[in-house]
Amino acid sequence: MTDTRSRRLVSRPYLTYALQRVVQAAVVVLLAYCFTFLVISVLPGDPVSNTLRNPENNFTEDEIARIIGYYGLDQPIHVQLWESLTRFLRLDLGVSLRSNLPVSRAISEVIGSTVVLALSALVVAVVLAFGVAYGVRNLPTPLARPLRALPSLFLSVPNFVIGLLLINVFAFQLGLFFVTDSEGGTATFFAAVALGIPVSAQIAEVLIANLDHESRQEYASFATSRGLSRSRLFWRHLLKPSSLPVVTVIALTVGELLGGALITETIFGRTGIGSLVQRAVTTQDLPVLQAVVVLAAVTFVVVNLVVDLVYPLLDPRVDLRGATKRVRPVTEAVPA
Amino acid sequence: MAPQDRLNALSEGGTATLEVPPATEAGAPPVLVSVRDLCVSYGGHQVVSDVSFDLPRGHRLALIGESGSGKSTIARSLLRLLPAGVGKARGTIEVQGQDVLTLPERHFRPLRGRTIGFVPQDPASSLNPVRTIGSQAREASALLPGDLSKAQRHQAVVEVLQRVGLDDPERVLASYPHQLSGGMLQRVLIGFAVLPEPALLVADEPTSALDVTIQKRILDLLDELRDSLDISLLLITHDLAIAAERADSVVVLKDGRVQEAGPTARVSSAPTSDYAKRLHADVPALNPDRYADLRDVGAARRARASDEGPKIAVRGVSKTFTVDRSRLTAVDDLSFEVPAGTTHAIVGESGSGKTTTIRLLLGLETPDAGSIEVAGERVDGRTHGELRSLRRHLQFVYQNPFTSLDPTWKVERLVREPLDRFRIGTKDERRAAVREALDAVGLDQTLLARRPDALSGGQRQRVAIARALVLKPDVIVLDEPTSALDVSVQADIVQVLLTLQAELGLTYVFVSHDLALVRQLAHTVTVVRRGRVVEEGTVAQIFDAPREDYTRTLLDSIPDAHHGRTS
Amino acid sequence: MTTITTEAPQAPGGWKPSALRRGGGSRRVPPVGVLLSFTMLLLVVGWSLAPGLFTGQDPARGVPAEAFQGPSLAHLFGTDHLGRDEFARVVHGSASSVTSALVAVAIGVVVGGLVGLVAGFIGSWVDVVLSRVVDVLLAIPSFLLAVVVVSALGFETINAAIATGVSAVAVFARVMRSEVLKTRRAVFVEASLLLGGSRWHVLVRHVLPNASRSVLNLAVLQFGLSILVIAGLAFLGYGDPPPASDWGLLVSSGKDYPLAPWLVYAPAVVTIATVLSANRISRWLRKTD
Repeated sequence: MTDTRSRRLVSRPYLTYALQRVVQAAVVVLLAYCFTFLVISVLPGDPVSNTLRNPENNFTEDEIARIIGYYGLDQPIHVQLWESLTRFLRLDLGVSLRSNLPVSRAISEVIGSTVVLALSALVVAVVLAFGVAYGVRNLPTPLARPLRALPSLFLSVPNFVIGLLLINVFAFQLGLFFVTDSEGGTATFFAAVALGIPVSAQIAEVLIANLDHESRQEYASFATSRGLSRSRLFWRHLLKPSSLPVVTVIALTVGELLGGALITETIFGRTGIGSLVQRAVTTQDLPVLQAVVVLAAVTFVVVNLVVDLVYPLLDPRVDLRGATKRVRPVTEAVPA
Repeated sequence: MAPQDRLNALSEGGTATLEVPPATEAGAPPVLVSVRDLCVSYGGHQVVSDVSFDLPRGHRLALIGESGSGKSTIARSLLRLLPAGVGKARGTIEVQGQDVLTLPERHFRPLRGRTIGFVPQDPASSLNPVRTIGSQAREASALLPGDLSKAQRHQAVVEVLQRVGLDDPERVLASYPHQLSGGMLQRVLIGFAVLPEPALLVADEPTSALDVTIQKRILDLLDELRDSLDISLLLITHDLAIAAERADSVVVLKDGRVQEAGPTARVSSAPTSDYAKRLHADVPALNPDRYADLRDVGAARRARASDEGPKIAVRGVSKTFTVDRSRLTAVDDLSFEVPAGTTHAIVGESGSGKTTTIRLLLGLETPDAGSIEVAGERVDGRTHGELRSLRRHLQFVYQNPFTSLDPTWKVERLVREPLDRFRIGTKDERRAAVREALDAVGLDQTLLARRPDALSGGQRQRVAIARALVLKPDVIVLDEPTSALDVSVQADIVQVLLTLQAELGLTYVFVSHDLALVRQLAHTVTVVRRGRVVEEGTVAQIFDAPREDYTRTLLDSIPDAHHGRTS
Repeated sequence: MTTITTEAPQAPGGWKPSALRRGGGSRRVPPVGVLLSFTMLLLVVGWSLAPGLFTGQDPARGVPAEAFQGPSLAHLFGTDHLGRDEFARVVHGSASSVTSALVAVAIGVVVGGLVGLVAGFIGSWVDVVLSRVVDVLLAIPSFLLAVVVVSALGFETINAAIATGVSAVAVFARVMRSEVLKTRRAVFVEASLLLGGSRWHVLVRHVLPNASRSVLNLAVLQFGLSILVIAGLAFLGYGDPPPASDWGLLVSSGKDYPLAPWLVYAPAVVTIATVLSANRISRWLRKTD
C-alpha cells in the first residue's frame, strides 16, 4: 500500500505496460514505413524516366542501371517494398535520385537547423501557453476574459500569415533582423515564434480547461476553506494536476512542429528539412521524401513512447492495474 | 430567552424572519453564527431567499432539504466558497460578531480554518489527487500557532489523525488519496478540519458518499469531537433521520426558503409546516409501516403460494473474477428463493456482491457454480439469444436513471422500445400500451415528446419503470432504484412499485443498502457481506430478531430519532 | 474491481446549484459570438455558391492603370499588381477554398468514422489492427502527410483537398472509436440489450446517434483546420496555379509586394475569420451537448 516511485517502476503491471508500448511503437514505425512507401509508389508518372533520364541530371546509363538495380525499380511492388524495408532495418536510407548522394547525408546536413527551430518553437509555445494560462486564472476579469479568447485566435491564424506579419513588422519596419541572415539568432527567434504560436494555442487550451476543471474540484474548496491564499492554491494545488496531462499534449504537438517547419522555413528562407522536402517534392526525389516522412514518424513515436512510459511515474492518479490500452488521463486535446 | 425557545418563536411565527433579540442573557450560550435575511443568487436566478437562523455556541444545527433546497449554498455562503463572479449573496452572516459577507478577503482569510472549519461532502475528491496526504497535512498544520517547530506540527498532525480513528497515521501520511478508502479519507478530512480547533465546523453531507456502517461511525466521531473540543456544528443533510438523531435544532428548507425551524425534538415529532410533515412522512426510517396495507397483499400471496414453488430460485451460486492475476470472489455459494408476487430484498454494503448477484440473475454474467431459475426456466449457461424469450418476463430497473436512458431518444420511443424489439402488437396497440404504462407509473402524457434531459430524476426513474412494465413482465429486478433520488421522490416511486405489485402480482427482487427502505417494502430479506449470505429470513425475523452481529451492526446504523443523544 | 457497471449514486444535494447547470448552454438562444460566426460562414458559403451576387467585378480582368490601389469604396480590398479587384478575387477564390475544405472533412468523416466505428464496435483483433493503422496516420505529421499525398496525386486543389482529408482520417477515427466504446459501455445500451435489442439495433439506434454528436462537433472544427491546411498547401504552390485565387495562393502572391500590404491582409483576414467562426461554433456545440 505504501507506494514509492521505485516500486511503481518495477511493478509487474508497469513492466507489462511498458513492454506493450515498446512493441506497439516498433510496429507503428514499420507500418509507417510501408505506408509511406506505398503512397509514394502510387505517384503517377515513372520516377525513372522523370528523374534519371532527365538530361539536366546528367546520369550516365551505367549509373541509371545501378540505381535501378539498387532500388529494384524493375521488380514488382511487393518485392521493392521488402527490399526497401530490409535496407531501412539496416538503417540504410538509400541514395538521393537527384544528387546521387546517400539520403542520410542530405538529411544530416540540414537537420540541425530544423532541430534548433523546432526546439526553440517548443520553448516559445510552452512559455506562451503557461503565461496565457496563468493570466487567465490570476489576472482581474477585464484582462483575463480577452486572454481566454487568445488560444482560439492563435489556432485560427494560418502560420504563414504569422510569419509574414512578424517579418513585416520586425524585419522591414523595425529592422531587428535581416531576412538575408536567416540563420541568425534574432531571425531564428522570430521563426520560432511563428512556428510556436499555433502550438502554444493547443497547449494553452488544454491547460486552461484543466485548470478550470481542477479549480471546480472539491479539494480546491477544501483547501480554500483551510485558509489558503488564491496564489498558493494556484501554485501548490492546481498547477501540478493541470499541467501533468499537458506533457502528453506537448508530445502530440511534435508532428505539428515538424509539419509547420515546412512553411516557416520557406517564409524565413531557412535551409532545413522543410526546404529539403520541398526540393524533393518538386524533383520527385522519392528516397529523400520517404526518409523524411519516416524520420518524422520515428520522432513522433519515440517522443510519445517516452512520455507514455514516464507518465505513470509522474501522475499518481494513473492506475495501471487492469489498464491494458491507454493510460492517459483525459486531456481533451484539441484534435490536430 | 434560551436559544431553543428563540428558534421555537421563529417557527411558531410561521416564518423565520422575525426580529430576534440580539442580546444574550447571562447563562445562555452566546450566539456563534447569526444569519439574517440571506439571499443568494446565481446569475440572476435566486436560489436562497430570506433565510435567517442562529447557531448558539456549542450547539448542533442541521440544515435539512432535498436537492435544490439551497442548503449547500447557504453553507458555501458562510464559507465564502460561492463560485466567483456567478454567485451573489445578500443579507448578513455574522460569525462571532463579524459579518462574513462584507469582510475584505484579507480579514476573512485568517478566519478560514481557524474559526470556521469545513468538512466537504465527497471524500474521494476533496484532497489533491497528485499530492500525498502528508504534504497536504503540512499545509493544514500551517494554521497552528506560529511558534511551533516542524516536529511539533508533525506531532500535532499525527495526534489528530489518531484522534479521528486512523490507527497508522504515518502510513496514511505517506499515501496518495486514491490509496485510501472513502471512510479513511473522510476521517482525514475531519482531522484536517479540527486540527486548528475551530469554533465552528460546517459539515456538508459528510456521510452521503459512505456505506451505512461507516456513516454511523463518522457521525459518532463528529459528536465525540464536538463534545471534547467544544466545537459547534452546522450539519448540512438531506436525511431528516440523521438530523433528528444528531442535531439539537433543525432548519427545514425547500426551494431556498425556510419552511420550519425549531428544536429537533419538536420538529421531528410534531412538525407544523406542510413540507416538514410530508418530509417526515417520506423518510423510511421514521415510518417503517407506512405501506403496510399494500405490503400485506403480497404477504397474503406469499402464504398462499408456498406450495406452488418459488418464482425465482437461486441455488449455490458462485462467481469469481480474475483481476490483475488475483482472484476476487464476488459471490460465494449464494442461495435464495422468491415466492411469486412478493418482494425479496438483497441488502449489503458496497463490495458485498449484490450487484454481481443481479447480473447473474439477469444472465449478464455466467456463474461458476450453482443454478438460477426464473419461472421454472434456467438462466445460467444460456446465450443472449436463448434468453430473449425469458427477458419478456424478467425486467430490470437500473440504479441511476441519469445513465440508463438514451439521451437522444424521446420518452415515447424509450418506453416503446421493448415492444418494438419483441414485435408485440400493432402500431396502435403499442401506442396504447405505452400510454397505459405511463399512466401506471403516474406520468403525464405531455411528457411523451420530451427527451430525458428535460425530465427530473424522479420522472426519469418512472420512465425506466414504465419501460420495464410495458412488456407486462412477472419479475422486475430493481437495483437501488431510488438511491439517486430525493426522499420525497423515493416515496412516490415506492408507492408506485407497491401499488403495481398489489394490482398485478409482480415479483420484485430489490437490491439496496438502505435497511429502513427495505423494511418498508420487502417481505423477505437476504443480508450479504463479501459475497456470502450472512442471514436470511422474513422482514420481521431480520429486523426484530437478528441472529448475526453484522445484521445488528447494519440495524444500529439506521438513524433513530428516539434514541438520539441530546445534550 | 469487477466488471460491474453501476455508477456511484449521485449524492442528493450536490452543492452546485441547478441554476448553474441549466444556465451553461441554452440551446435555443446562441450567444452573439456564435450568431456572428454563423453569419460569417453563411457569407463565405454564399460567396462560393454565387460569387456574382457579391461582386460585380471580374476577378481575372486587370486594369493596369488601377494597379496597387489601396482599399476604397470602389475596391473594398484594393487592387493587385495587374489592377485586378482583390475583393472579387477573394470572393471567387472562396469556392475552391470552401469546397476543398468540405471535401476534406467529408473524407475524414466517412473514412475515419467508418474505421472508428468498426474498430470500436467489433473490437478484438479488428480493433488492434485498425488502431495501429490509425496510430501510423497520427504518427506522420499531418501537414507532411498532406504534402506527400498531394505530390503523389499531382499539384491541384482537389488533390490538396484529398490530401487534407487523408491526414484528417486518423483524428476522426480516434474520436469515433472512443465515442463508440464509451457508448457501448453505457448503461442504456446494456438496458437495450436486456429489453431484447440485437447488436445491430444497438449499433444503429443507440451507438451511432450518440457518437455522431461528437463527430459532428469535430467535423465543424476540422472544417476550419482544413481551410488552414489547404491554404498552407496553396501557399507553397501545391494547389491550382494562378490565375486561380485560393486564399492561400492570394497571400502567397501578395507577399511579393510589401508596399501593398492589403494584398496579404485581406485574404488573411477572411481566412482567419472563417476559421475562427468554425472554432467558435464547434466550441458552442461542445458546450450544449
